[in-house]
Amino acid sequence: MIPIDIRPDKLAEEMLDYTRKLGQGMENLLNADKIDTGVSPKHPVYKEDKLVLYRYDTPAGITPKPVPLLIVYALVNRPYMADIQEDRSTIKGLLATGQDVYLIDWGYPDGADRSLTLDDYINGYIDNCVDFIRESHGLDAINILGICQGGAFSLMYTSMHQEKVKNLVTMVTPVDFEAPGNLLASWTRAMDIDLAVDTMGNVPGELLNWTFLSLKPFSLTGQKYVNMVDLLDDPDKVKNFLRMEKWIFDSPDQAGETFRQFAKDFFQKNGFINGGVVLGDREVNLKELTCPILNIYALQDHLVPPDASRALKTLTSSSDYSELAFPGGHIGIYVSGKAQKEVTPSIGKWLNERSAA
Amino acid sequence: MNNDSFFSNDWMETQRKYWENWMAMSRKAMGVAGGSPTAPWEAALDHWWKALSPAAPDASKQFMERMMDQGKAFFKMAETFLPGANGGVDGWSAFTKTLEDMQQGFRGSVDDGGNTLHRLMAFWELPYDNWQRMVSSMSPVPGDFLRNMPHGDMQGSVDRLLSAPGLGYHREEQAQYQALMRCSIDYQKALQDYLAFNSKLGLKAVERMRSYMQDLIQSGKTIDSARAIYDNWVGCCEAVYAEEVSTPHYAELHGKLVNTQMALKHRMAVMVDENLGAMNMPTRTEIRTLQDRLQETRRENKRMRRDLHALQQQVQTLLGGEAPKSLTSGLRTALIEGPDSKKSMAAKPVAAKPATK
Repeated sequence: MIPIDIRPDKLAEEMLDYTRKLGQGMENLLNADKIDTGVSPKHPVYKEDKLVLYRYDTPAGITPKPVPLLIVYALVNRPYMADIQEDRSTIKGLLATGQDVYLIDWGYPDGADRSLTLDDYINGYIDNCVDFIRESHGLDAINILGICQGGAFSLMYTSMHQEKVKNLVTMVTPVDFEAPGNLLASWTRAMDIDLAVDTMGNVPGELLNWTFLSLKPFSLTGQKYVNMVDLLDDPDKVKNFLRMEKWIFDSPDQAGETFRQFAKDFFQKNGFINGGVVLGDREVNLKELTCPILNIYALQDHLVPPDASRALKTLTSSSDYSELAFPGGHIGIYVSGKAQKEVTPSIGKWLNERSAA
Repeated sequence: MNNDSFFSNDWMETQRKYWENWMAMSRKAMGVAGGSPTAPWEAALDHWWKALSPAAPDASKQFMERMMDQGKAFFKMAETFLPGANGGVDGWSAFTKTLEDMQQGFRGSVDDGGNTLHRLMAFWELPYDNWQRMVSSMSPVPGDFLRNMPHGDMQGSVDRLLSAPGLGYHREEQAQYQALMRCSIDYQKALQDYLAFNSKLGLKAVERMRSYMQDLIQSGKTIDSARAIYDNWVGCCEAVYAEEVSTPHYAELHGKLVNTQMALKHRMAVMVDENLGAMNMPTRTEIRTLQDRLQETRRENKRMRRDLHALQQQVQTLLGGEAPKSLTSGLRTALIEGPDSKKSMAAKPVAAKPATK
């Protein structure tokens, strides 16, 4: 017996339903307002080259805690993922717990930024932002939350400037790049990074997009759009889909020299585990990291497998290390309804318990 | 907002009538034949779009075409498995024949005029399609112009040609063109290996689908919608893909694909640079040298500002005065506010502030 039982009339009805949704969807699509990027009110407080440091407005009725929180996002994609829509915003959730939130927007590097190195980003830009916030608040140390690659940056920064960081939160941060299931690292190991950077200068966002889409090509470039048809008759869902679509393809180019060092030192040489990462004239040593750490990872993360993040546990000298496992994916940890209820309140609580000025 | 009532009136009404008529014909055909006639589902969807798309606004056409492509893919899938397809053979034998045809399609041994199985095979070109789009975005030549270049038959003669030494005044130029040709051939070979790998995965995905169907039979369940077939096919493809791309063999293929692409681009860039130089125009190499020197100068400037700041602090302390507070003011291009002026400063425009130190 064949396990497929599709009658022509039922297939016709299915097709009718598909085209009806498509027709309705076109109307909703054309009626969609401009896709906004980031929803919580914020304003720039510091600029350096293409970097802009933003400070988020504290919601009415909330008194900000004395120790501000700096969010360090990845260079890949754009930071508005953390504030993507009104009811799906990590930043909004953090503000609600009383965090005084700052965020670094790296901007879009162009050819003139090709020579920026990891040292320039970490001991230059990040350090200047931290100093600015410390001086503004009259504090010796602030809290940092690093996201994905920004988490790796935050680990390097904190290990080199421990006295300026009170508490460190890392989210979906790759630490062990040889952990099983890390496809990106596996693919990158066979690449000639020097040849790629020497050829392209900056690494185009399109190349990164191709790499990410290649992780699940049939779902991410085919099935996703079929699934979208089911959402098309709901204007709000259309807008949310388009917002996410914009974020996925809003990929800044990567400053060539920074990409060169990050890809070689971490993806190819697993630098946090094996050592040998040098910024300026100093080697990164995670054992110099002593502050409290909250390490958050996603159990279904296809970009940064849980084991890649969990490796942090034994690498630092922190005596106050906590983990939070989220049952979702790399993006869901910011945008899912579950994350709004579980992740951000947990971060706020953890920080508030450790943030007496 | 779009106030055009086109969608809610004419267009929606037209498509409704189109499908009502089409379904009536389909039901009538079933009654007359007393069975399940094979229907040109994909063609029907195509006709629907062709009939209606001229009236659709240009702004939505590209989006709709993407949706239509995916819609056709999953209705095509259903059509292929529909009882009565494959020359009227019914039951398990028809189903088996469909799977065998798919396998032959992946082996390249079936010629159906690009119709019956084309879209299923095209589905497995998604990874390549992504690559092609990425290459196009970085190249003045649209698409991947080397894909269809004959390779195997001409390999020997081309190798001989390329190994012939250049002579005389144009020796260097000839050597460069030979190197360019070698890079082209290397890339083409890597690309063909990559495509061949995907074809093998397609064969495995068909096997996975067969196995899945057998499990369904044993469990007594059936699939009763085009969408369910499509989703299961995507699931099989994605599962096989995930297994295979995590192997060292794929990492090697992936690496070669990227590396040979980069080598080819690099060779082209060298030749472009030489031509630019010959025309007394700045070359990319020169510009990169300037970029590197400029960035190094900026680093030195920032270091000196910090050293100067430290010295000023020491001098002020020795003199018993108040030490300069801000470490970052000499680095930033705009300082908007301090922590105590949050609300009032929110509306202030960003203004450049010259360095004062």
